[in-house]
Amino acid sequence: MKQFKIRRILLERGAEKDSLAQKIFKKLPNIPIENVEPDELALIEDIEEMDKESLRIIHFNGEFLKSCPGTRRYICCGYKILNIGINCPMDCSYCFLQSYVNQPSLRIFTNLEDRLNSIGEVIDSFPDSIFRIGTGEFTDSLSLDYVTGWTDFLLPFFSNRKNCILELKTKTSFIKDLIKSSHRERIVVAWSLNTPRIIANQEHKTASLKNRIIAAGECQKAGFVLAFHFDPIISYQGCADEYEETVQLLERYINPESIIWISLGSFRYMPNLKWAIMKRFPGTNIFNGEFVPGLDGKFRYFKPIRVEMYAKLSERLKKWYDDLGIYLCMESDDVWRQSLGWSPKNSAGLSLYLDSRVKVIFG
Amino acid sequence: MEKKAFKSTPLQVEISDIDLSPGPFCMSFNFDLEPLKDSIDRFGVLNPPYLLKKSDNNFIVVAGYRRLLALRELGWQDTVCQVLPDNFPPLKALLLNLNDNLLHRKLNNIEKGMVLKRLTSFLNTEEIVANFMPILDIPANRQTLELFLGLEELEDTVKVSVAMERLSLRIAGLIRSIGKDDRLKINDLFTSLKWSFNQQWETIQWIIEIASREGRPIKEIVDERQIIEVLNNNRMNKPQKVKAIVKILKARRFPSLLETEKLFKIGIFNLSLPSGIKIIPPPFFEGIDYKLEIVFTKGKELKEKLTELSNLSGLEKITDFWKGAEHG
Repeated sequence: MKQFKIRRILLERGAEKDSLAQKIFKKLPNIPIENVEPDELALIEDIEEMDKESLRIIHFNGEFLKSCPGTRRYICCGYKILNIGINCPMDCSYCFLQSYVNQPSLRIFTNLEDRLNSIGEVIDSFPDSIFRIGTGEFTDSLSLDYVTGWTDFLLPFFSNRKNCILELKTKTSFIKDLIKSSHRERIVVAWSLNTPRIIANQEHKTASLKNRIIAAGECQKAGFVLAFHFDPIISYQGCADEYEETVQLLERYINPESIIWISLGSFRYMPNLKWAIMKRFPGTNIFNGEFVPGLDGKFRYFKPIRVEMYAKLSERLKKWYDDLGIYLCMESDDVWRQSLGWSPKNSAGLSLYLDSRVKVIFG
Repeated sequence: MEKKAFKSTPLQVEISDIDLSPGPFCMSFNFDLEPLKDSIDRFGVLNPPYLLKKSDNNFIVVAGYRRLLALRELGWQDTVCQVLPDNFPPLKALLLNLNDNLLHRKLNNIEKGMVLKRLTSFLNTEEIVANFMPILDIPANRQTLELFLGLEELEDTVKVSVAMERLSLRIAGLIRSIGKDDRLKINDLFTSLKWSFNQQWETIQWIIEIASREGRPIKEIVDERQIIEVLNNNRMNKPQKVKAIVKILKARRFPSLLETEKLFKIGIFNLSLPSGIKIIPPPFFEGIDYKLEIVFTKGKELKEKLTELSNLSGLEKITDFWKGAEHG
C-alpha cells in the first residue's frame, strides 16, 4: 500500500508553534504551505469533495476526549473518542463523514501532544473506571501516522495507564512505525474488515483484505493485542459466502486467543448521507438492501435481515474460536438476543462486558 | 446603481427578415400563443419587440420573441420594432429581455434554466449565484445552479413535464444521469397519471434500486406486466392506478417487510379481535412495542370491550411476526 499524496499544507493561524505541526513540516519538507485563517468558511462544494489531498494543520480548541455519540434507543459500547483529527485520505463510499463534516481537507489537530497531560488528568481522576479510547472514529488511526507520528507519542502515553486502553482502528497496512515502538501494554490494534468485493468496490484506496489481515498477523506476532470490526456489514446476493472467505483468511493468519473483541455492525445511514453518497459515488449499489427508518432516525436494514446477518457471521466466528468478545454495534436488546443468543440489556451492560474483556486480556 | 438609457431606433421590419428560432436571448419555453394572438388581433402590438441587426442584415430577437411568433401566425407581414445599436453589448441585451420578462410574467423552471445557462456565457458562477438566482426566486447555491443548468440537456418532452410542473425538478435532476430510454420511460410513467412530487420521489428511488439490484434497465422494471396491467385497467381512475403501482413497486423493493406485514395481518386476523379494537405494530417492526387502539363512545362500552378482550384466547400469541418470514 502506497503512502497517500499530500498536495499542500494549509496552516491555520495559531497552529504554527504546535509541536506536532513542527514535526509535520519536517516530515513533509517539499510540500507547499498556505497560511489560512481558522474561521475561514469553506464553500459547500469543497466540503462535498472533501479535499483529501490537503493537510490542514489546526490548533484545536475543543475537547480532545469525547464520548462516542451513541443513542439511548440502541445499545452503545461506551467508547471514548480521542479526537486527533477529522477526515482520512481513503475514500469509503459509505463513510458517514461525507454528510457529517462541515469543513474539507484532512484536518489534523496539532496541539494534541501538548494537551495530553490534561487528557491524562481526566483518565487518572477516575481510577476505578476503564477508559476504552479510540482514535479511529473521525479519521483512520494509522493512515497518516507516517506524517503525524501519532503512535510515537500516543503509545507511551496510554501504555503507562492501567485504567485505559487505546484502540487504533485502521483500513491500512501501515504498521511499520507501530511495530518499531516498544510499547504493547494497553494498546489494541484493530482492523475494519469486510468482504473482498465490498473492499474493492466501496472502500477506495484502502488496503486489500489480505494485506489488512497479514498486517494484523504481523502486529500480533510483534506482541500487539488485536481487534476486528465487521462494520458496515452490507447485504447483497452471495454476501454470506464472501464473509465466510473473510473469516477463512482470519483463520489462516490470526491466532484468535489474543483478540480482545470483534464487533459487528450493519450499514446504517442518516437520510442526508444517502444524497451525499449518491453524488460522490453515482451508481453505487449500497442502498439496494431493504432499509427502514430506525429508532434513532438512521436507516437500517429491516430487522430480520440484520438478525440473520449477525447470527450467521457470529456463528461462523464462534466456530473459529469461542471466546472472541463478539459484540454488536448500535443494536437493540431484541436484536442482540435474536442474533447472538444473549444481550447486555443496555449500554451500561455492554460497557461492563467490554471492560471485562480488557481485564481478561490485559489484566 | 448608475442609470444608463440606451438608444434604440424604431423601424418597420419585415417579419421574414427576423430570425425566429430561439436565439441567444430567448427565455421562453412551453407557452400558449393563443391569448397573445387574441390580444394582438384586438389591440395590436402594445410594446414593440427589440431587435439587433445581424451581419447578414437580418435581425435577431432580443425581446418580444413570443409577440413575433404570434404575429407570424396571424399572418402579419411587418411590424414596428425597436432596433438596438450594432455595438449593443450582448449581456445587456440578455438583461434587457430578462427584465422585460420578469416584469410581465412568472418564468417556469425550464425558462429559469435557460436564463442561467445564457448568463454563464458572460458571468462567473459566483456572480450568477449571488445576483441572479435570488431574482429568479431560486435557492442561491451552486448545486441548485448545476441542477438548473442541466435542464436544457433534457429531451423536450421531459422539459415540458418540468415546465408544466408535472415532473418534479428533483426528479429531473436525478434522471439526467440515467439513459435516454429510461428517462423517457420515467417521464411517461409520472406524467400519464397524477403523482404528487413526494410519490414521484419515493417511487423513482425504488425503481432505480430495484433495477440496480436486479441488474436490469429501468425501462424493463416500469414495463413489467403487473404495471402495464394497472396502466391499461379501464376500471381504475388515475389516483387508484398510482396507488396500485406504488404497492407493486413497494412489494418488489421491500419483499421481507411486506412479507412480515402480511404475516402480522394474518396473525391479528386469526385472533378475531372484537370490533373497534386494533393492534398496531411498531413502525417497520423496528421497535418492540405494539399499541392497542380501542374505539368506544361510553365508558360502559369500553368496559365491555376490555372484558371481551381479556377473555379472548390467543392474545399471548402476539409476537414478533417477522420470525416466521423468509428473508435475505
